[in-house]
Amino acid sequence: MAFISSGYNPSKPMEDRITDIGPRSFEDFYPPVIKKNKGKWDYHEILKPGVLVHVAESGDKVFTVRCGTCRLMSVSLLREACEIADKYCGGHLRFTTRNNIEFMVTDEKTMEAMIADLESRKHAGGSFKFPIGGTGAGISNIIHTQGWVHCHTPATDASGPVKCVMDEMFEYFQSMKLPAMLRISLACCLNMCGAVHCSDIGIVGIHRKPPIVETEIIDNICEVPLAVAACPTGAIKPTKVEVEGKKVNSVIVNPERCMYCGNCYTMCPAMPLASGQGDGIVLMVGGKVSNRISMPMFSKVVVAYIPNEPPRWPTLTKTIKHIVEVYAKEAKKYERLGEWAERIGWEKFFEVCGLEFSHHCIDDFRDPAYYTWRQSSQFKFTSHVE
Amino acid sequence: MAIVEFKGKTFDVDEDGFLQKFEDWCEEWVEYVKDSEGIKELSPEHRKVIDFLQDYYKKNGIAPMVRILSKVTGFKLKHIYELFPSGPGKGACKMAGLPKPTGCV
Repeated sequence: MAFISSGYNPSKPMEDRITDIGPRSFEDFYPPVIKKNKGKWDYHEILKPGVLVHVAESGDKVFTVRCGTCRLMSVSLLREACEIADKYCGGHLRFTTRNNIEFMVTDEKTMEAMIADLESRKHAGGSFKFPIGGTGAGISNIIHTQGWVHCHTPATDASGPVKCVMDEMFEYFQSMKLPAMLRISLACCLNMCGAVHCSDIGIVGIHRKPPIVETEIIDNICEVPLAVAACPTGAIKPTKVEVEGKKVNSVIVNPERCMYCGNCYTMCPAMPLASGQGDGIVLMVGGKVSNRISMPMFSKVVVAYIPNEPPRWPTLTKTIKHIVEVYAKEAKKYERLGEWAERIGWEKFFEVCGLEFSHHCIDDFRDPAYYTWRQSSQFKFTSHVE
Repeated sequence: MAIVEFKGKTFDVDEDGFLQKFEDWCEEWVEYVKDSEGIKELSPEHRKVIDFLQDYYKKNGIAPMVRILSKVTGFKLKHIYELFPSGPGKGACKMAGLPKPTGCV
């Protein structure tokens, strides 16, 4: 395609340049009913899965219909969402912090018509474009990252596994039958972009092999001290090596100390470590961010390794489904997954979920590891360990 | 990667236009980058930043933190941006021949 200028002049890049204007004010996009009743909401109800009503002190009502999205979406799908918003919501819509879309209307009749319309929209392959759900004690959208779509440090994909897990969890997206909300998040490497460290179930990509040092180019394209300082276990040392008769700066990685976090690759492109067979997924459970009843919690590693099995990741989805089903059956009302596991004891959690406990789950990182061991005779005898 | 030819010199560069080898740096490289970075005239202040970046890199093996660059040259970050519109990383480091900045940038 021929070049079409936006008016930018590359020979005078600073001319007519607009900068530091920030995002548009959110108030510019309020539906009228939200603008009018802002700060004066009285109460809300969940009418059914995915549908909320907020009632204002003035008596005004706003009905919200929450729809799942794939987060990574085309302009055509966005245009379709805009078309729906134009048709029913006066052109207004919003996205939630878990990347669901919410359409808001002020009367029940329009709401019913919109729900029927939303439910009828499907992709050519058969999947729902705007499935309704994600409210109350169910499983809402999965917070996730870039994966093999765009990032250079992933150990697994993001969009792929998220689609597989949500397919398996779809009934929980469209219902509210769990003891409490259950948050699932995915990060494709240990950078943990997103919320895996504080989710009920966290899916994290991991490596199992140390990086390869590309000695011929490392001193040219890397700042070697940064690679050394990037290592949490001090496994990287600077060294001199001979390349084609010339002494050059490089590093050596002590494989005994390396735990394959990949931080050095983030800082230094000459230390790649991704591996088809080596890479896989860690499952973490029991995190939360709210302070309802118990304090916020980190999620904890319960499955040290699940292989990457594109395109459907069957072992991953099966394991998650099983954990969710056991939690749904065993936990008390309002109890988040982490609260349940802490109450019954982690040895019981492993037993009832049928998960194999391996030494990988025992913390061995610096002084704080000690506090995760059991300094008490309080424990339950469990059967699953042979 | 790509090879750039400019005023009789050739430079091995990556896709973002950073020198692949610090040793390839020369006056012609500064001339070449100047145009693509939106800099009309090289002032002594530009020189001061480039010289300091190179000295620091040779001595320490890393690019200086922005605070150190500011402190030593005496230029506030705002002024560094006036000198190098793309900023200290994409602009000044590229012109000085330092490796491409890494990490979550």
